[in-house]
Amino acid sequence: MAIIERPAPTVPAIVTPTTTYGLLKRPVSATGWRSWVFTVDHKKLGIMYGATAMLFFIVGGVEALLIRLQLAAPNGKVLNADLYNQMFTMHATTMVFLFVMPMAAGFANYFVPLQIGARDVAFPRLNAFGFWAFLFGGIFLNLAWFLGGAADGGWFMYAPNSGPVFSPSNGVDFWALGLQITGIASLTGAINLIITVLNMRAPGMSLMKMPIFTWMITVVQFLLLFAIPVITVALFLLSFQRNFGAQFFDVAAGADPLLWQHLFWIFGHPEVYVLILPSFGIVSEVLPVFSRKPLFGYPFVVFSGAAIGFVGWGVWAHHMFASGLGPVSVAVFSLTTMAIAVPTGVKIINWTLTMWSGKLWFTTAMKFSIGLIVLFTVGGLSGVTHAVAPSDTQQTDTYYIVAHFHYVLFGGAVLGIFSGFYYWWPKVFGKMLNEKLGSWNFWLMVIGLNLTFGPMHILGLQGQPRRMYQWTEARAGEGFFNLAFWNLIASIGSFVLAVGILTFLINVLITSRNPQKAPLDPWDARSLEWMTTNPPKEHNFDVVPTVHHLDDFFHQKYEEDAATHTMKQVRTAEEIMAEQERNADKHIHMPSPSYWPIVLAFGLPVITFGVIYSHLISVVGGVIVLFAAYGWALESSTAPDSDFETNTPGTGLDKVASNHD
Amino acid sequence: MSRRQFDIRLSATIASVRVVLRKASKFAGAAGISAVVAGCATNAPQDTWQPKGPNSKLIDDLQQPVFAVAGIIGLIVAVAVVYTMIKYRDRGQPIPEQTHGKPALEITLTIIPALILAVVSVFTFGAIFKLAKTDDTEMIINVTGQQWWWEYDYPVQNEFGITQPIISSGQLVMPVGTKVLLRETSRDVIHSYWIPALNGKRDAVPGRIHTLRLEADEPGIYAGQCTEFCGLSHANMRMEAVALSKEDFAKWVANQQAPYVAPAKDTLAKQGEEVFLNQCVRCHQVNGLTRADGTPAIAAPDENVWSGAAPNLSHLMSRNTFAGAMFNLLSKQCRDEVWNAPSDVVGAKYLAGVTEECLNQKDLRAWLRNAPEVKPMYANPADLAVSNGKYRGMPYLALSEDDINKLVAYLITLK
Repeated sequence: MAIIERPAPTVPAIVTPTTTYGLLKRPVSATGWRSWVFTVDHKKLGIMYGATAMLFFIVGGVEALLIRLQLAAPNGKVLNADLYNQMFTMHATTMVFLFVMPMAAGFANYFVPLQIGARDVAFPRLNAFGFWAFLFGGIFLNLAWFLGGAADGGWFMYAPNSGPVFSPSNGVDFWALGLQITGIASLTGAINLIITVLNMRAPGMSLMKMPIFTWMITVVQFLLLFAIPVITVALFLLSFQRNFGAQFFDVAAGADPLLWQHLFWIFGHPEVYVLILPSFGIVSEVLPVFSRKPLFGYPFVVFSGAAIGFVGWGVWAHHMFASGLGPVSVAVFSLTTMAIAVPTGVKIINWTLTMWSGKLWFTTAMKFSIGLIVLFTVGGLSGVTHAVAPSDTQQTDTYYIVAHFHYVLFGGAVLGIFSGFYYWWPKVFGKMLNEKLGSWNFWLMVIGLNLTFGPMHILGLQGQPRRMYQWTEARAGEGFFNLAFWNLIASIGSFVLAVGILTFLINVLITSRNPQKAPLDPWDARSLEWMTTNPPKEHNFDVVPTVHHLDDFFHQKYEEDAATHTMKQVRTAEEIMAEQERNADKHIHMPSPSYWPIVLAFGLPVITFGVIYSHLISVVGGVIVLFAAYGWALESSTAPDSDFETNTPGTGLDKVASNHD
Repeated sequence: MSRRQFDIRLSATIASVRVVLRKASKFAGAAGISAVVAGCATNAPQDTWQPKGPNSKLIDDLQQPVFAVAGIIGLIVAVAVVYTMIKYRDRGQPIPEQTHGKPALEITLTIIPALILAVVSVFTFGAIFKLAKTDDTEMIINVTGQQWWWEYDYPVQNEFGITQPIISSGQLVMPVGTKVLLRETSRDVIHSYWIPALNGKRDAVPGRIHTLRLEADEPGIYAGQCTEFCGLSHANMRMEAVALSKEDFAKWVANQQAPYVAPAKDTLAKQGEEVFLNQCVRCHQVNGLTRADGTPAIAAPDENVWSGAAPNLSHLMSRNTFAGAMFNLLSKQCRDEVWNAPSDVVGAKYLAGVTEECLNQKDLRAWLRNAPEVKPMYANPADLAVSNGKYRGMPYLALSEDDINKLVAYLITLK
């Protein structure tokens, strides 16, 4: 057990254990690559999630650029039909499962424990396992590119087109099995974060004093907890059909291919909220900080988030308005889809009113958040036009839909993520991202995304369907709204967008070389994650804070003048930090690194690889998994000589964090 | 402020608001007119905002106000955000009061969008059920999707002169002013039938029959495209709906039911018929075609093609397209003449079919020479293990140029 002794209020001394537990000696390196690979620290895992997701973002982005190159002119020749189909399938799969979801998981991992005043998540080893499962799953998914071709059925993978006859390469097998692995990662992450949030909040932090980002993440984890099993079942059916001759979607055997669509979208629609709610959470943190004002209508935002979480389960068939459901079903799902627009609209209104009568500070983080309000609204409103089912039958499977969900996902989820980058970068890396480059980053991305996805509204309403590897001049028209012009604009826009993202990467590079450290509280922030050093110590807080207010950190710094209702500063962040250091807990009990999460996670792709190529390999994978599970189970998380009697009373952390992971 | 001052200021405000509104309405009007002009002139043939029949009009009448309201709300949000940004930017004001919200305002702002959506949903419901009606059907056409073309099958309907089933592909021919009901299904994967000018889309799902109402107000050719991703050549699975006046439609029906006319002896076309019997008839039916011994030549596409069907080529030259409407049978010039014809003569031009001088020899020959090269299909014999040796699409037939000459001469006789 790594035990952090704090004999004096200075640098903590890390006492490395000498005892060997379990099957293998514990990894104990505090530095070097081992300290990352075997870490169970939620902050390191958060950074690893973020970095890996960013890599996949670049992969998915290159796929997107190839798609736009192909479609820039009629009868594009950059990609052939087969490769194009793989490209759009993997673009979507990568962006949804390997970028936005793990990026949100990264933010959640890093900031949820900090925001609730905890020292780690409930199950640190499970947390590490989740990251490795995601990484191996993502690599496995992309291996198909080199082993006969990637999946080519679209990310929705409709049956029977995903069957062995219609998609004969192994691409769909890699896809289905790879998503099972990333699904395991999401599930373990969901369980871990839910238990962390429910059990490990700092004393005094009732649910309604919890930061809104943590709230939205919690809603997302519940969505994942119930949605992932649905896609797991669907993927099993698909794998059994392809690999073991089952006939779940085979019409000749009496099946109905619409079964897949229902399963996929019962997962797929909550998934949409899984993608967007974390960014809603980020924006709801950023706007109050830079408006110098609490979130307007905090309970409304919380409950509208929860409402989205519930109603999100009742709208899936709006993806199927053209699939022949019958008028009654169509009418019902049309109504529920309109209903879900209401809580979403509530958020837009609350964000705008948060800024209203504030004292607005237009940092890059703030710009991205405001960009989200406006651009997500565009996507939300085009969404309402789909809720009108008859109108949707004209729009579905056209570029109008592509425009809609890119405004929601890029204008919403991605802008939120970038807002989070700029806001939390000093917290995570102790350095400020360059604001000037940040401004370039923001404007290039916003202009680029409007140039790319704005014209797609026109393309779709002019009747250009999605997923076509070529479009033809015969169907392009000649007027102002002709497809040729707007396809070209969209393609040019995609490269502007790419330059915007490149600007961010340059900013990261420049910042990493800049020796200047970030101030302790650069934004005069409001929530607990700022009540510690930049970056935080391994144990997050010297003293687990006791919470009295929503935005407790702000209320420790400021007090209201009873007469004028204005806020005046009574303490600085430095003073609060100094006080914490003085009262630092003497014994802080942190979970120890472990080999087992990565070993167990590695067994999973070995199993799935064997499903495709030889069942013997699966057996090997199974042995790895069992070996790792055995080792994991034997590895005591509580060293016999540990200081179990930590003096952090009331947190419950010592028991939960170290006993049950 | 005195009452009088207030009144003056109020009337000044109202006047200035009026000016702004007038300017805005002028601007909106101009924008609207230019949009309409641009819209009517030369928009893409699959424009979803130019309904040409009652079903698509019903959709358009429903969606236009929704687009307008959505646009206005979007504008309000954008203006509110920008206004807030300007008004409350940091000008050194003190940190504001830490207000946590005003429940009454929030409830109001929740109820307003809910009410707007409730109104929209009432009209939506009406349209959904109107578009699902099938009891007023006047004519039925069965539509079957497969990789990557559509088959049209007209069951016997004596009132339209259809006394024996007509099987066609590439172009859906229908009479104007007639409530046509498509009964859709698929022979392999899911496809989706969509003629934007006439109605929204409806998926063709294997094992199920879905219905779609179609009705055209005026004679003309209306473009469409398969919209459910259906594999390799999804992009090339097109369709065209040809609406003819009732008289023209009767002529079309009569021609489709006309008996087979074999080419005269000792012509190139007759030799082409032989090539057809040796090669093409394995999959492609031509009604009335007989072998040398007088037995009818019956195609057996189910033995060669995974989906079990190949286009019936009877009266091929009465159509304007081939290969899933990916290619034109008419040369560009002749095709433009038909497509751009005014509605009172388009029928006559269409019924003229494909004449020798109008035949698009280039694409037809390229197709016969090596079909999978010009349209991506699963037609490589090496890749057919999973489908029991059956093709998906038309394979490379290794025809000699001589055979191709003969075939073209034969096909042009299939009027």
